[in-house]
Amino acid sequence: MSFLAFFLIVVSLLSFVAAQLILKRAMEATTTTGFRNPQFVSKVTGGILLMTISFFLTLGLLQRFDLSYLYPFQGLSVIFITLMAAVVLKEKLNMRLAVGALLISAGIVLVSMS
Amino acid sequence: MKVIKHADASAQGAGYSESIRLREDDGALKKRMQNRPTGFGNPWLQLALSVACVLVSEFLLKRGATEVADTGSAWSWTGLNGLASPLVWWAILLIIASFVSWLYVLRYIPITIAFPLSRVVDILVPLGCWIFLGELISPLRWCGIALVVIGLALVAKPIAQFEERL
Repeated sequence: MSFLAFFLIVVSLLSFVAAQLILKRAMEATTTTGFRNPQFVSKVTGGILLMTISFFLTLGLLQRFDLSYLYPFQGLSVIFITLMAAVVLKEKLNMRLAVGALLISAGIVLVSMS
Repeated sequence: MKVIKHADASAQGAGYSESIRLREDDGALKKRMQNRPTGFGNPWLQLALSVACVLVSEFLLKRGATEVADTGSAWSWTGLNGLASPLVWWAILLIIASFVSWLYVLRYIPITIAFPLSRVVDILVPLGCWIFLGELISPLRWCGIALVVIGLALVAKPIAQFEERL
């Protein structure tokens, strides 16, 4: 696999993770300030934009590689989102959640490889 | 969309020092969970709905895409010819619905819990293929499914206990 392909896989994964975190931030803000504020709108727009980038990158990759090859990378999103939510959003992360996320990721990798 | 406003300590936490914030995390989460809407607005129900919508949409896409498959055409690689199938349009509707309920879920449930749980769809799809489409599941794939189930149980168990206490 070329360096470019690997790079695109990573960018697609990271933009998906970033999108989820930004959407979470946007929705959390609505609990205090409601839906009609510019911050909410800009964050949701940003989140959807990042998801779109991730979607089309994946689509382009799917044309060149097998789904069974690309899908395990999506499984990794569980680990990434759990870790990043703990770091960026300061969500509480205990051993149980971390091990759970790890097992789910490993399971998805196995399911998509076989 | 209805706007539900309630006091929320965690959203004002930006000014708090780290240590106080960590200690208050539990309380804030508990408060938000107690204030969460019930019935159709229950975030756990919405999470289940979101997963169900994704699951059904995957099968509709598979059905719809094969129905109108025309691998000879020069444009077939874009997948755009799939739009000729009404099933694909139903799938698109379901995907939008799942996105809306997912946003709603994000409002109430920490993403460290909601996202791992939402990946249950990754084992429901192969199980659905096995049950409804008669596709085979290899031993290695069964192992993967078992791992995901154990992981889901680990993530979900504290929530189940928490809900019982409420």
